[in-house]
Amino acid sequence: MSLILILAALITFVVGQLLLKKGMGLTNSARAESFRGRFLFLLISGIAAMTISFFLTLGLLQRFDLSYLYPFQGLSVILIAITAAWALREKLTLQVAIGALLITVGVILVSLS
Amino acid sequence: MKTRPSGFGNPWLQLALSVVFVLASELLLKRGASQTADLTSSWSWTGVGGLTSPLVWVAIVLVILSFLSWLYVLKYIPLSIAFPLSRVVDALVPLCSWIFLGEMISTRRWCGIALVIIGLAVVAKPVARMEERL
Repeated sequence: MSLILILAALITFVVGQLLLKKGMGLTNSARAESFRGRFLFLLISGIAAMTISFFLTLGLLQRFDLSYLYPFQGLSVILIAITAAWALREKLTLQVAIGALLITVGVILVSLS
Repeated sequence: MKTRPSGFGNPWLQLALSVVFVLASELLLKRGASQTADLTSSWSWTGVGGLTSPLVWVAIVLVILSFLSWLYVLKYIPLSIAFPLSRVVDALVPLCSWIFLGEMISTRRWCGIALVIIGLAVVAKPVARMEERL
């Protein structure tokens, strides 16, 4: 049960970030006005996903040590770098991918000890 | 990336602000959540019980502020670059605990902090080069 909650908190966080980035990206468009409805939809669903993730995390913090939960948050770095490239067509250079991987491993090491 | 505002509207400054707010909120959230933990309640898995702590409310205000900065950052910086950079907070939390709270840092944790910083440098370097050209 707790692993499902941890994964749910992680996935809702990643999805929320992607939705927000997509929504904020629309505001740069020359036709931003015509995207208003789409922008609001993306922003609200992004905020909803982040809110779910927030309360799931708060509930997990009441149950477990931060040092147990934090390694899973570390995974969000590499997950977001990859999913942003895949879903948002961002250019993921090898250098950024390696950097994201190093940060992920670093976060896991920091929180394990 | 297109032309961006400078000064307070500089997205890199907003990224730094967002990180500082997150840093403070994480510490307050953990303290508030621990103080109000009631694992006997059938609703405890939702974390809603944490709302009875004032510290959690202060943390929520900080989370909202960091969120607003973050939205602004997302307008200008690609997510695959902004998000890894925002995790500088994962090196700052243990470092702040060491400097200000006198907490011990194990060898393994030092290695982790070093890896996070190296990773940040690897992500930031091509960005810095790109900024120079602008």
